[in-house]
Amino acid sequence: MEKSGSADSLGSKRSSSRQPSVDSLTSTNTTRSDRSAHLRSAVSPDAASARTDLGAEVLKESSRIAEGELQLLPRESVQDTASDVTYICPFLGAIRGSLTVTNYRLFFKCLDKDPAFVLDLPVGVISRVEKIGAISAQGEVSFGLVCKDIRNLRFAHRYQEGSLKKSIFELVNKFAFPVSNALRMFAFEYGQPFPENGWKVYDPLAEYKRQGLPNESWRITKANEHYDVCETYPATLVVPANIPDEELKRVAAFRAKGRIPVLSWIHPETQATVTRCSQPMVGVNGKRSKEDEKHLQAIMDANAQSHKLFIFDARPPVNAAANKMKGGGFESEDAYQNAELVFLDIHNIHVMRESLRKLKEVVYPNIEESHWLSNLESTHWLEHIKLILAGALRIADKVESGKTSVVVHCSDGWDRTAQLSSLAMLMLDGFYRTLRGFQVLVEKEWLSFGHRFQLRIGHGDRNHTDADRSPVFLQFIDCVWQMTRQFPAAFEFNEFFLITILDHLYSCLFGTFLCNSEQQRLEEDLPKRTVSLWSYINSQHEEFTNPLYVDYANHVLYPVVSMRHLELWVGYYIRWNPRMRPQEPLHQHYRELLAKRAELQRKVEELQREVAGRVAVAPPEKAGSPAGSPVQTCV
Amino acid sequence: MFPVKPGKPTFKSYLPQPTEVKNPVQGMKNLEAKLLPGEIVVTEVNFVRKCVGPNSSPDDLWGKLVCTNFKISFVTHGSLPRQKFQYTNRLLGEHDIPLAGVEQVVTVNEAKGKQKVLGSNQKLKFSPTELMVYCKDFRMVRFRFDEAGPDSTKKVCLAIAHYSQPADAQLLFGFEYTGKCFHSSSGDRANGLDPGSSLQTALFDCSSDWDREIKRTGASDWRVCSVNEGYAVSPSLPEFFVVPASLADQDLKQFSVSFAGKRIPMWCWNHSNGSALVRMASIRDPLQQRNLDRRICSAITKSHPKCSDVLKSDLDRSLPNIQEIQAAFVRLRQICVIEPFEENEERWLSSLESSKWLEYVRAFLKHSVEVVYMLEGQLCSVMLQEEEDRDLACVVSSLVQLMLDPHYRSLGGFQSLVQKEWVMAGHRFLDRCNHLKKNDGEECPLFLLFLDCVWQLMNQYPAAFEFTETYLTVLSDSMWIPVFSTFLFNCPRHCAERSRDFAQSESIKLGENKALRFPCVWYWGHQFSVKDQALFNSPLYVGKSVTCVHNGTVKTFRRTKKSHSATLRGPPSLPNGLTVELDTLTRRNSLALRLKPDPWQPREVPESPAERFSCEWLSRPVDLQGLLLPQLLPSHLQLWRLYFLRWVPEAQISRGGSVMAFHRLSLLADEIETLQNQLRQHRGGTPASTPASTPGTPDQESSRMYFKAGTPDDLPSTPDYLTSSFPFSPVGNLCRRNILGTPFSKFLSGAKIWVSNENLANETL
Repeated sequence: MEKSGSADSLGSKRSSSRQPSVDSLTSTNTTRSDRSAHLRSAVSPDAASARTDLGAEVLKESSRIAEGELQLLPRESVQDTASDVTYICPFLGAIRGSLTVTNYRLFFKCLDKDPAFVLDLPVGVISRVEKIGAISAQGEVSFGLVCKDIRNLRFAHRYQEGSLKKSIFELVNKFAFPVSNALRMFAFEYGQPFPENGWKVYDPLAEYKRQGLPNESWRITKANEHYDVCETYPATLVVPANIPDEELKRVAAFRAKGRIPVLSWIHPETQATVTRCSQPMVGVNGKRSKEDEKHLQAIMDANAQSHKLFIFDARPPVNAAANKMKGGGFESEDAYQNAELVFLDIHNIHVMRESLRKLKEVVYPNIEESHWLSNLESTHWLEHIKLILAGALRIADKVESGKTSVVVHCSDGWDRTAQLSSLAMLMLDGFYRTLRGFQVLVEKEWLSFGHRFQLRIGHGDRNHTDADRSPVFLQFIDCVWQMTRQFPAAFEFNEFFLITILDHLYSCLFGTFLCNSEQQRLEEDLPKRTVSLWSYINSQHEEFTNPLYVDYANHVLYPVVSMRHLELWVGYYIRWNPRMRPQEPLHQHYRELLAKRAELQRKVEELQREVAGRVAVAPPEKAGSPAGSPVQTCV
Repeated sequence: MFPVKPGKPTFKSYLPQPTEVKNPVQGMKNLEAKLLPGEIVVTEVNFVRKCVGPNSSPDDLWGKLVCTNFKISFVTHGSLPRQKFQYTNRLLGEHDIPLAGVEQVVTVNEAKGKQKVLGSNQKLKFSPTELMVYCKDFRMVRFRFDEAGPDSTKKVCLAIAHYSQPADAQLLFGFEYTGKCFHSSSGDRANGLDPGSSLQTALFDCSSDWDREIKRTGASDWRVCSVNEGYAVSPSLPEFFVVPASLADQDLKQFSVSFAGKRIPMWCWNHSNGSALVRMASIRDPLQQRNLDRRICSAITKSHPKCSDVLKSDLDRSLPNIQEIQAAFVRLRQICVIEPFEENEERWLSSLESSKWLEYVRAFLKHSVEVVYMLEGQLCSVMLQEEEDRDLACVVSSLVQLMLDPHYRSLGGFQSLVQKEWVMAGHRFLDRCNHLKKNDGEECPLFLLFLDCVWQLMNQYPAAFEFTETYLTVLSDSMWIPVFSTFLFNCPRHCAERSRDFAQSESIKLGENKALRFPCVWYWGHQFSVKDQALFNSPLYVGKSVTCVHNGTVKTFRRTKKSHSATLRGPPSLPNGLTVELDTLTRRNSLALRLKPDPWQPREVPESPAERFSCEWLSRPVDLQGLLLPQLLPSHLQLWRLYFLRWVPEAQISRGGSVMAFHRLSLLADEIETLQNQLRQHRGGTPASTPASTPGTPDQESSRMYFKAGTPDDLPSTPDYLTSSFPFSPVGNLCRRNILGTPFSKFLSGAKIWVSNENLANETL
């Protein structure tokens, strides 16, 4: 361990001496680290743009650092370094270099190559470490790392017979799965201060106030303050005004996991609402609940525009019916007067997991050239994306055009329901399309309403075959990306923002996506003990903003949900392939134009001042449109 | 499967809506088709309904259907809810279809359950109640004759079928039109023609254009030869072209005999490193083959400053042929517009794959990258070999030049490129467009395939091109307006002869030109107003002067010869058909992969040197004014949606699509332009001096941008008129019989409509 000790001190010295915080973070995001290192200083265009603010000297230095030096985060410590490791790159072949493991990351570098090759990833993305085959004739052992971010890494490493020294991959195994090894996750160590506290981004009362709540039909209740109505729901809930708290408990008894119908969003004009819940506990005998029926009636009555209520059951009808065997089921139209039940045919978490597994097979490491599209089709990934978007579109359409309130549920109301409600809200409400609004949306519909991130992602858990894992949130982000493709000016954030969210979904650097519910997060005291991802993002929001964004008033998005427009998100799923270059981002060019405009405006103003000074007669006519004014079209 | 139709984004009409119920009889009398010079009405029928949806709808338009010698015109008083910003073509009305753009004419009698595909000079035994016109640009238009007289209906249908299949090239409208324009001496100006002087496109019909090109590319050991003046040597080569300086005219004449079509190898372009791109037809004389080959190669080698080798690229062996491309196109049309939208949703990706269109697009791009590698990476001259050198070579040579030379990515440069590598090189536009509908086997959308390849490049590097995808689309649509010399002939000689003959037969007195001058498509003023032409300009394009700034420092590219020499030592020269071998190798390998699903098996795909070259290039920052290589993973090629899906209402994203970004960028670019003008005014002092300072833009007021930044209003509202198919509108242009329960589908009973001509024609009912 002496060796690691020295490396440790070396590393930390280096990091403390020249480490601008921005830079250290850029290197932590796994987005393009593999690539960008390979590309030498050709960091992602987004990162590059953020760096232009810094002086040229700083730049040169930071790019030199990025060339192959490990930069440690606060309280990150080197655990061991092995110098004789071969990374078997599926694209470039075998690369010999040294592998360093810290309590946060795995860092492989090869300086012999020109440009230097660096692989830098948080151990959190690793879902499985496995030894492959026996010791080879050269005395090497192979290890494979299966990652959650659509790649597999393979290393070979000399095994010293009789040596007491543990293989470095045992360390990887240890730090990649802190939960299984009774260790603390790195998120609890990392204490980087940021100017803004991201944990404060979402304040439920403020968000409901923004929506105009409470009003005469809806009230805010603290009935779940101690999480005893429903332990997976947030403390603050919005329910129909005429349903008292005691009745909520009786409704909870009839809904799976006590997840009662509560308001997610209300239309500012029509008062049509999006409410979410879990399946009713109908069972094989067709049980009914007066309170639940009354509750849904109250939801319908709260909207004077319509005498109907649409219940969107996210599941395929067969699955919904099968749930009756387990005591669940769906609302019968007999019991719920004026309610219409619609099934949205979205499959369950197991189908989605399998689909992503197939997708990974198709895209990584290499794409089979001759059958690309049919292979892609056979994964059904885009078909699932389509069904989710189509469901959300139907919900949004009912609310906006039909002026009808909707109830959304699946089985437990924390996977498909979260996808549908959040996507529908994204289509309906421009606020959620802003950088901050999107954070509120994720905090609200996903985190506070108990999407089980810990279980679905399996943070730090060795049990990679866990049937609870599923890419539900990834699908949501993919759907959002599809919408940004169709409406390039309607979102304040860019693709890099979405990729960053996904990268830190797995990295366990931030506390945001840890735990399964609001209650658990409070128990773990996450806001105090960890840093929020939004702290990082909001401290350098320029990097994540889409300069093309225009906030058109009352713009409801109706994406075209057709295979003709859905695309595989190449920039995410195929980003490890060196045969692709991140798409020339339009917004990059737009930024250049903005800079040019600013420069010209300055020059024009200067000249005008000069002319005005020289002539000193009437001031010259108004020059152009002033900076920052909203541009408007005229024919 | 997906029955949602968002109800909200209905089209808002910006035109006064006729409030009264449309009465077919009212006001039908004074409807007249607008005619161009030389255009005559053949026949017409009143009280025709143009369908705007698959079923009869109150929105259907009533009007008069006119068949002229140029177009199918539908004249109406009614109006469609249409886009505020819809562009207008000066040659065609909103509902007009040029006859040359008609792919198929189908007449139907609903009551009798009969239908017939109409050809030229055919008879119709039933009186049609419906007419379906399938267009080459993927439009489909449906007319109903419920209220129209059966006799005149029949006449119009037969006339349309007849006139859309002219027996002779001289019957193409362009002749009549140009003749008439010529007769009226002031013709050009009367038709809104741009004065020729403003055209910044080199046409390559004179030796000076070639001379300039030689100088521009620094091809010092090449010369313009005029052996083919008066088309004395080769019928399909232009009168002037460029050859190695070491070859004398005498040699050329001697060589020509042995080449297919007597086509002497023709220079296309020179790399700054001295490597040349040459295209060549096959050598017909087997005895001469070796000898001739050697002499040509040595001449090209001599013209290379470093006397490096000549590499050959056999296009016939590594690229799909004409028939395959046409078949792919037909399949693509089938899935894009013929098949009902919902029905092929589930199998969309695999249908798209089995159409093979994208595969072919990729094959051409890939082959072009290989040629680029030879020129740029191996520093060798390249000879493109094709049997006739009039089809595949046009695509490959143009793409290679687009990738290597930023000049061709400007609007004027691109037009010159098409002129040089397609029009002058003798691409058989007349045959490939099948304007005369004589030989379907010759029809091939090769030019569209090329435009699609350009679009793929543009899609990957939007800021590298001066023009937009709208430009590419409009250019391709212009093929179906048979007025432009660009697309009307098979080669320059063909053009010259036909126009001379026509002039003689019409006894048009020709002046010094000795020929009728057909307008070429590059006079865009012929079709569009100056304002509409602004749609062609990309707001992102950065001109030549801009240096590439990366990470705050100006990068000089390390694309030094040294770094490449390492990769060059591989195979000394790429043998013919190497790509074919490589392909089979990959395929074999991938089969093995499928059998072994072990995720840890290192999958090593053999990389060709060109691929390595490409990967290396991709790992560096792009210089938009330098070499541009496409990313060729199959996942990076996309369907050109604007072109292929613009007429499909279901595929239209309202208030969405890339035009939303284009709109924003244009506004900003316009602001910048305004500021620059102000700056110039301030600097120039007197405003009078400003017009002179901008010779490129004759009109100071006309901005380069279509969308203009105006006075700031209170709140930005969504530009409602913008959709993903902007500036085209599918409304009223497409009526597919896709809805089940339409009387139509009853007798079709699910059968595909787009069976081959013969099958349907045999059903003479």
